[in-house]
Amino acid sequence: MTPARNQLIYSYYPGCSLHASAKEYDESTRGLFKALRIGLVEVPDWLCCGATPAHNVDELLSLSLCAKNLALAEEVPGDLAVACAACFSRLKVTQHKLADNDDKRRQVEYAIAGQVNLAKPVKHLLEILARDFGLDRLTEAVKKSLSGLKVACYYGCLLTRPPEVPQLDCTEAPTIMERVIGAVGAETVAWSHRLECCGANFTLSRPGVVLKLSSEILASAKAAGADCLMVACPLCHGNLDIRQKEIEEVTGERFDMPVFYMTQLLALAVGVAPNKLGLESMIVNPQPLLKKKGLL
Amino acid sequence: MSRIGVFVCHCGENISRTVDVEKVAAEAARLPGVAYATDYKYMCSDPGQSLLKKAVAEQQLDGVVVAACSPRMHEKTFRAAAKAAGLNPFLCEMANIREHCSWVHENREEATAKASDIVAMMVARVKKDRKLVPITVPVTKRALVIGGGIAGIQAALDIADAGHQVVLVEREPSIGGHMAQLSETFPTLDCSQCIMTPKMVDVANHPNITLHTYAEIENVDGYIGNFQVTVRKKARSVIEEKCTGCGICSAKCPQKKIPNTFDRQLGTRPAIYVPFPQAVPNTPVIDRENCTWFKSGKCGVCQKVCGPGAIDYDQQDQLLVEPVGAIVVATGFELYSIAEKPKGSPIKGYGEFGHGKIPDVIDGLTFERLASASGPTGGKIVRPSDGREPKEVVFIQCVGSRAREKGISYCSKICCMYTAKHTMLYKHKVHDGQAYVFFMDARTPGKNYDEFWRRAVEEEEAVYIRGMVSRLYQKGDKVVVMGSDIAVGVQVEIEADLVVLATAVQPRPGADTLAQKLGISYDKYHFYSEAHAKLKPVECATAGIYLAGACQGPKDIPDTVSQASAAAAKVMTLFAKNELEREPIVAKVNEKNCVACLACKKVCPYGAVEEKELRDRQGNLIRVVAYVNPGVCGGCGTCQATCPSKSVELDGYTDEQIMAMIESL
Repeated sequence: MTPARNQLIYSYYPGCSLHASAKEYDESTRGLFKALRIGLVEVPDWLCCGATPAHNVDELLSLSLCAKNLALAEEVPGDLAVACAACFSRLKVTQHKLADNDDKRRQVEYAIAGQVNLAKPVKHLLEILARDFGLDRLTEAVKKSLSGLKVACYYGCLLTRPPEVPQLDCTEAPTIMERVIGAVGAETVAWSHRLECCGANFTLSRPGVVLKLSSEILASAKAAGADCLMVACPLCHGNLDIRQKEIEEVTGERFDMPVFYMTQLLALAVGVAPNKLGLESMIVNPQPLLKKKGLL
Repeated sequence: MSRIGVFVCHCGENISRTVDVEKVAAEAARLPGVAYATDYKYMCSDPGQSLLKKAVAEQQLDGVVVAACSPRMHEKTFRAAAKAAGLNPFLCEMANIREHCSWVHENREEATAKASDIVAMMVARVKKDRKLVPITVPVTKRALVIGGGIAGIQAALDIADAGHQVVLVEREPSIGGHMAQLSETFPTLDCSQCIMTPKMVDVANHPNITLHTYAEIENVDGYIGNFQVTVRKKARSVIEEKCTGCGICSAKCPQKKIPNTFDRQLGTRPAIYVPFPQAVPNTPVIDRENCTWFKSGKCGVCQKVCGPGAIDYDQQDQLLVEPVGAIVVATGFELYSIAEKPKGSPIKGYGEFGHGKIPDVIDGLTFERLASASGPTGGKIVRPSDGREPKEVVFIQCVGSRAREKGISYCSKICCMYTAKHTMLYKHKVHDGQAYVFFMDARTPGKNYDEFWRRAVEEEEAVYIRGMVSRLYQKGDKVVVMGSDIAVGVQVEIEADLVVLATAVQPRPGADTLAQKLGISYDKYHFYSEAHAKLKPVECATAGIYLAGACQGPKDIPDTVSQASAAAAKVMTLFAKNELEREPIVAKVNEKNCVACLACKKVCPYGAVEEKELRDRQGNLIRVVAYVNPGVCGGCGTCQATCPSKSVELDGYTDEQIMAMIESL
């Protein structure tokens, strides 16, 4: 595939979630990029990044999995585009940790039986849209403005932390999500729990923790007057969307807060057909909200 | 034929552990011109010095080499001993066989050989030494104090009371500094205004003190005993001599909504204003940025209402040159701001804790204004957002201090005490209120200090929680503070009405620029550096300049006042003499060879090189040469190294001496 002049092209690392529980994130990402005429070439034969558990068990394993993926990504053109916040974090951490540690690098090279290559920039979709593609062009591409939709942008733990690794935006007060979704007309709300943890992997081992943390996030977004949440991480999505009914049962508070992947909302705005966004697989049904706002 | 004496010191075991000192002495004895060589355990001790004196007399020595420590340590000691024995002190040299040899080497044989070489070099050099006579310079017995806070005020009063003239320069329109902003002071809880304002009045009324407020240091020339300081008196737009301080101008000024910086933005003030009612001098100043007259040329109300006709819109900045003999720097501190990341600063900025966006998150100095009887609320503690009395107040310590990840590693020293004080002041005014303090550890060294802190905890029932705050956020009209109690190991969440941050103490902005004007050194945070942390804590490395107060590092009021008096004592010591002696190790120009290229003038870091015209008896100009002012010369030798015609030489370090040292190897 030869890229046309001035056409952006990226190698794409979807990660396991986007092929399973977060299919709608993958589908809407592809739809959005196609509509914006940004090329995506899936990395061939990619493997799991180890996600959030692997590095707690075996750092070498976790680094090696990502190093292998980085090596595979060399086979396709363009910077590496990543949608999942956890995959993004692990790939960036690997680059960071191996950059100035020759010992670890040698171990990893032995493990993957190949060269470690750290040259390829790993970029989150937000970075691609805000910096490479540009907010102005994003605004130009809008077919159906999201104006009137009040969105609470939820960053979670991994997109901006630790400060020296992702370098996506300010760690304490990032604005990149608000800027991107604001570019397609949506209204963003100021709320306090944008960067709080949702409970992440405790969803399996200590669901009580997740219920508490996630309920606070939902309550804060609701208090700020948001119609819906926007996330960039399949794990956050799981905790906030799939568990929302359970949270409502425990807290007795009704949220009815659809949790969108950022690409679902963006794709909707640039004219991708709503039936190509996986809206039907969301647990909290977004259809009434979208209909009310005239977006369906 | 010279008769040199060599004295090799053991320095206890510091030198003799690594260097065979007896062998060094024996080898020195064999050097041509050496008449006497010996070793001794402690040359700097009284018997050691006596040994030197006795040898000079008995052996008729005409030069002395003491092989011991660095000349920085004891050159003065041994030169004084040589002088006492009747020798010119500059015929005594030190061979550094400690820092340059025994401390940095391990192999005994090689170190001994090196020590012998160093001694041989110094013997070669001392033979070429000339008798030098110290230079004397007159002392201007007039002191400059920069900064009119408690440090500057105390130093100025002490020097003035000793009978010397003092020029006090303050950047703000009034003296008083941060202490005038405080409510009550620890550990006695006496009111700051009550102990501060009388001193401010004393300064204004003192016959020996010239006070320049609303003024800044423009330029500093000269050297110890003879500084020429240019002071920029900023235009007040009010003629000080005419103003009676009646206050009508401020009362009638139509601009009323300018945030009051003295009250930490809590209240407002007009465009023509005195910073606070007890200000000294009680002369207003027009804030030209906010004044309607200066912005649009309309208004002029203050001029119309001023009876004595003191308003002068055309007033210009004035430049005054003040000759002084000593300078006390007392520029003080400011509080680290959580709202903004300082530009170009090594400090990374905080950014957390509401970013200065949540109105009910304030810093310690703002709380002082809230609690102060002279403050915007008359001492009633209320929330900035809605004026309601806060019932739950959270104090957070170490905000920015001791946070290496934020770029500040030092402890700000005063916050543990002032936070304890805040909890007490709060409890005294809001009896049913509750104060919480998140702290890392309570640092309360000082007379009656720990007792004070314990009183806050045990009697006033402030709840101290050991642990840091992770973040806080606005929830309705409350500020939720999330932290951890590491003593119990639980997460804590407090819904507070008001949050007070004990933010880090930093030097005043522009501290670095002033240091460059003065030629004094500062650390990476821009705190000024003292000459020696223990033995010269109030002196700068630059002679004639002294430090007082928080410009040197975080300090509380008792420490600041002590240091200010110490700096004043140093100034008085200097002024006790009519003339100053300076080391005669200065550069001299050989006028016969000098071609006046003035390369030396370009490189001289002290600005000591001038042009000198040589004239015949009829006054006709023959030619121009370079001239080194011995009073200014620092003896660094840069000119000597630069001079293309070899016309400049540093006394004590002539080319001949350096060559002799090299050839002796």
